[in-house]
Amino acid sequence: MDTNIGPSEMLLHLGPQHAIQPGPYLLDLRLKGESVVDAELKMGYIHKGIEKILENKTYLQGITITDRICYLAAMSNNEVFCGCVERLVGIEPPERSQYIRVIMEELSRIQSHLLGLGEFSTDLGFITMFLYMIREREEVLNLIDTVTGSRITQTYLRFGGVREDFPEGYEQKTMLVLNDLKKKLDQHENLYDTDRIYRQRTVGVGTLTKEVATELGVAGPPLRATGVKFDVRKDDPYLVYDDLDFKVCTQKNGDIFARIKVRLDEIRESIYMIEQSFDQMPQGPLFPEGTPYGRRTPVMRVPPGEVFYRVEDPRGEMGMYMISDGSDTPYRVKIRGPVFPTMQALPPLILNTYIADVAAIAASMDGCTSEADR
Amino acid sequence: MGEMIENVNFTTSSAISDFLKKTPAQDIINWGRKNSLWFLTQPMGCCGVEMISTGCSHYDTDRFGIIPRDSPRQADVIVISGYVTKKYLPALKLVWDQMPAPKWIICMGDCSISGGPFYESYSTVQNIDEIFPVDVFIPGCPPRPEALIQGFIELQKKIMAKKDIGTDY
Amino acid sequence: MIDADYILSSLTKTFPNDFSESKIESDTKLTSYVEKDAIFNVCKHMLDNLECNHLSCECGVDYPDRNELEVVYHIASYEHPVVITLKVKLPRDDPEIESIVSVYWNANWYERETYELYGIMYKNHPDLKPLLLIDEMLGDWPLRKDYDGYPNKTSKNLV
Repeated sequence: MDTNIGPSEMLLHLGPQHAIQPGPYLLDLRLKGESVVDAELKMGYIHKGIEKILENKTYLQGITITDRICYLAAMSNNEVFCGCVERLVGIEPPERSQYIRVIMEELSRIQSHLLGLGEFSTDLGFITMFLYMIREREEVLNLIDTVTGSRITQTYLRFGGVREDFPEGYEQKTMLVLNDLKKKLDQHENLYDTDRIYRQRTVGVGTLTKEVATELGVAGPPLRATGVKFDVRKDDPYLVYDDLDFKVCTQKNGDIFARIKVRLDEIRESIYMIEQSFDQMPQGPLFPEGTPYGRRTPVMRVPPGEVFYRVEDPRGEMGMYMISDGSDTPYRVKIRGPVFPTMQALPPLILNTYIADVAAIAASMDGCTSEADR
Repeated sequence: MGEMIENVNFTTSSAISDFLKKTPAQDIINWGRKNSLWFLTQPMGCCGVEMISTGCSHYDTDRFGIIPRDSPRQADVIVISGYVTKKYLPALKLVWDQMPAPKWIICMGDCSISGGPFYESYSTVQNIDEIFPVDVFIPGCPPRPEALIQGFIELQKKIMAKKDIGTDY
Repeated sequence: MIDADYILSSLTKTFPNDFSESKIESDTKLTSYVEKDAIFNVCKHMLDNLECNHLSCECGVDYPDRNELEVVYHIASYEHPVVITLKVKLPRDDPEIESIVSVYWNANWYERETYELYGIMYKNHPDLKPLLLIDEMLGDWPLRKDYDGYPNKTSKNLV
């Protein structure tokens, strides 16, 4: 960014520590009066070198590291890592495991969206909604905790299956919480919709069009809010998403209001998917029979090969490119996170908006800095 | 300090503060301080999410006078909630310098204590306790909110016993 | 209907000499090596004629045994489910390749990242500078296999 400022211009650094941020990043703005004329995003404040670490850990140790790529979508990160290894090895989880994975990943999506909505609300100054959303999220986290024993970094998936089966009476407990959540979501949506100030700050602000969004490579809810029906669960199905009935939630306008709507709709859609999965889930083993894969596979060598596997993260298309050279550690792992391109699209999006809207726009993209930096 | 006048004793606020530290009045001051530990919301990693949850409705640290604040100028405690990288360390020092004394540091999670799962990484900084005066370490990856609350209570106990590093006795 | 077969035949027809070791894994997965000078035009052709309007990923891979670096492009689409993996071989001593930012806008950060982690220079990149690392680490190329800063043993609590 050009740092020579003209008359009535000023430079403003938002970050690396700032109240609007889900994690540290630096947003340099050049302002002319109230409007943003130039913006640059600087990343890397929590770059941990996960790709290098994964190359030096065994496959089983790698699962733990993938949790920490994005702590709000640990389940999807596990899925993409385990899915890569499963494709290289040539095993497939049994049907029961696949349904368990779907249920847990959708629960994980619900809690991620709830936190995303909450953080967005608090950046608008809508603190009440933040506290409501965190309250609902704690209930969902309890459900995840019951099965995995951990709140956010679960390390739950294993190659060819999952670590634990559901405890007794889990279905009833889950449906109790989710039915309650559905009612509360309706109330919250009503609060969002009827609030005059909220509408003024979100409708028509930070608008992305379909063409621009696809050109910038934005992923997930911000993309679907522009009307592009792109969802890896539908377009490139994995697990048992083929057997489930769900729709891809889209909106037309592409503004902040639409993004929030998409997230609210996706929570409902996830609840519907969980209901179906509980109904269709068969009994059976958790790991493929006749293979050495189980809860513990201490020494495993993966045949040479390479694979690119995509799943739908709460924030969009998550991909992993893995090369194996036949040893017990991966040769190369590339993580393609959805937040990386979404954050990249933030500077062009906030050009020519008011400084007061920057916080709202940045928060509505639901960025997770940890995943963009890795 | 202004001009010295004969037969008039001048004093400064730091002199008063130094004097009070030797008297029982400091107990009352510390009691007040320990019950208003406002912490800086500065999420850096997995632990940052747990820190946010701890400050919110379900765990409600308000009960102990512990309130999340957005600005370092208004905060007493900074929770290092994640991996400190070489790039972020200068910014973190700046944030720490901006906080008014007395101030305390809590290291939350394995990453900030010893590097955690990323202890071998080329980008992270290890041994944070050599850089910052850390009062409480909370192990876990990430620690649960209950553990963070316990960490705050340990800090309160330390302040009450005048054993904290944050205040200069 | 666009599938891997159709894309490969269209590409090999337009660029007869530039593709080698092409492999169709399934209807939606296609892998191929591309000559390094052709990659810009290949990407442009794919965007204009084959509806491949989504650059999913771009990364580098290091092969010290062969004294080569590879740049791997994963190109997908919002319209059809085909994912095309294109690989370009570069010499390890002087890795230089044409930037594709003017074709796929979001390649910008991927290329900056690959530059600082592998040392691959991108010609005609609008703003080639480090993205994730501090400036002092530029030139270390940490993700290359012969990088000696990993593992970092500075933690005093190691057992």
